[in-house]
Amino acid sequence: MMATPSLLLYVDGSLFAKKVKDTRPVEQKHPSWKVFGKLPPKESSAKTQKEYEAKNSRDGPGLSPTSPRRSVRKNLDFEPLSTTALILEDRPANLPAKPAEEAQKHRQQYEEMVAQAKKRELKEAQKRRKQLEDRVKVEERIGNAAQTWNQEILPNWSSLCTTRWVRELWWQGIPPSVRGKVWSLAVGNELNITHELYNICLSRAREKWKNMPSVPPIESQTEDAGSSLADREASLELIKLDISRTFPHLCIFQQGGPYYDVLHSILGAYTCYRPDVGYVQGMSFIAAVLILNLDTADAFIAFANLLNKPCQMAFFRVDHSLMLMYFAAFEVFFEENLPKLFAHFKENNLTPDIYLIDWIFTLYSKSLPLDLACRVWDVFCRDGDEFLFRVALGILRLYEDVLTRMDFIHNAQFLTRLPDLIPADQLFSHIHAIHMISKNRKWSQVLQALQKEQERTSPVLKR
Amino acid sequence: MSETYDFLFKFLVIGNAGTGKSCLLHQFIEKRFKDDSNHTIGVEFGSKIINVVNKYVKLQIWDTAGQERFRSVTRSYYRGAAGALLVYDITSRETYNALTNWLTDARMLASQNIVIILCGNKKDLDADREVTFLEASRFAQENELMFLETSALTGENVEEAFIQCARKILNKIESGELDPERMGSGIQYGDAALRQLRSPRRGQAESAQECGC
Repeated sequence: MMATPSLLLYVDGSLFAKKVKDTRPVEQKHPSWKVFGKLPPKESSAKTQKEYEAKNSRDGPGLSPTSPRRSVRKNLDFEPLSTTALILEDRPANLPAKPAEEAQKHRQQYEEMVAQAKKRELKEAQKRRKQLEDRVKVEERIGNAAQTWNQEILPNWSSLCTTRWVRELWWQGIPPSVRGKVWSLAVGNELNITHELYNICLSRAREKWKNMPSVPPIESQTEDAGSSLADREASLELIKLDISRTFPHLCIFQQGGPYYDVLHSILGAYTCYRPDVGYVQGMSFIAAVLILNLDTADAFIAFANLLNKPCQMAFFRVDHSLMLMYFAAFEVFFEENLPKLFAHFKENNLTPDIYLIDWIFTLYSKSLPLDLACRVWDVFCRDGDEFLFRVALGILRLYEDVLTRMDFIHNAQFLTRLPDLIPADQLFSHIHAIHMISKNRKWSQVLQALQKEQERTSPVLKR
Repeated sequence: MSETYDFLFKFLVIGNAGTGKSCLLHQFIEKRFKDDSNHTIGVEFGSKIINVVNKYVKLQIWDTAGQERFRSVTRSYYRGAAGALLVYDITSRETYNALTNWLTDARMLASQNIVIILCGNKKDLDADREVTFLEASRFAQENELMFLETSALTGENVEEAFIQCARKILNKIESGELDPERMGSGIQYGDAALRQLRSPRRGQAESAQECGC
């Protein structure tokens, strides 16, 4: 089973709750889970059932022919449940008594009504109990999963990370409290970046910002050297501009927000760490997601290492011919998995670059809801770049019916602006259904074959 | 979802990062300012049917990323564009200085007859102006561009920019200067025009039938 909406809500909320340095075991960190866990589901649900019934009856069902409401009001300390509120009374003494037959009929009607009301309440209570149980289960699962990750998997990372058991747990989504740690471990630190190195890069960036002229140099762009200088300075300006345009709805990265400086620092430090790559639009989203899950220096380390992966390097250097190769590989698996939609897109000249560029550059953090994007990142950390393209196919598969009915422009609009509400479980089961094997070749093999072909046909045509 | 229109034009929105390209598009389509917009990575899209000189024209608008670095990518979207909004920010000389580069790309890579309107955006920020109206209109004249100062915030001149550009393309079609049937013209016939072309008399026949009823 995948996460349910309530899990997602929780995940989303806790994205911002990390930051607290915490080495206590999980159950102490989140006492609420334990409280829930200790209450046997039946007891807690019975309690809510009573509350529910009490609340419901205040509205008064008004079913009794003898107006139960009045009798209830007479005795205020009696809080009626809706079934007990239905009281069969005899006629007041000042009126002649009912004939036996009528009284019998009324009694029967009364019993039927009570039985029905009871049945309905039981059904509703069962439904509520089920919902509550589900929620408890999900919360317990997150709690248990966090405990499992913390106490069993993380201490034995290198020996366990490739086991089937861990990989399956991984697919279900990493609990937010350990997410950053798992990402860090999975991305690794091939570049051997230390916290000191980050600080050096940061102070260099700060030096640059200080020396940056407030007004950009005029008309020096025609010279090559001048152009690259202007470009670099422009990119510092652009970082500022883009930070304000990174998850604007969260209001935490914008100027004055709590993470403005952090995001600014990481992006600035990166331009000093890799001046040959510099700042490229899309990076701010990746850095932002990392900041939400890791401390600053660790976020920088993960950021630099993540961007250093072949696929990310190809994209962030905007190496067009390499990008085209990735798109070509994508199309191989697109045709294999969704031949009908593939043909429809071909017919409409809808090329994959149109929607893939945004998805790959931002690792879906801009196009999918943040909680869902984090789950994509989870498995991306496990499976590598192949998974990014698998997600793309999963999205196409999820919306295949709609997409095959629309023309170029509507498809292009749809894919560059996905619906706000995407059912996580469904998306992940569609991703699961995508086979990344084409004619016995894996993603990496298809990519390699394309690369060889490209090298053979145009050895010097690298822009 | 049946749409009838006479023509479909492919439009580009190009210019430096942060000049307000996506906001112009959003204002044009939704008629309101988008104040929490992300920056565009790659390309985004919009479409709208407008009525110009008694013709229904569907605009298919490609809103491109502005960072210089993305040019090698966005260039591939220029092919077959009939019109373009070339956007700079009146409060940033840098974005104005970059216009020549954008223009060269557009003329070289889109259709030869591409109709371009220069948009000096952020007109509402007049106090921070770094580019005068006069200077920009001279630049427009020298480069055979139409020119408007726009505000995606207030909506001033936004619709006009798109409409003027579309009108000029229609004029060029009528004068024969533009041939919609030429490959890569960025123009397609819509359903309405197609019907007329295929059976020019059908309209008459239908109205005659109506009279008979």
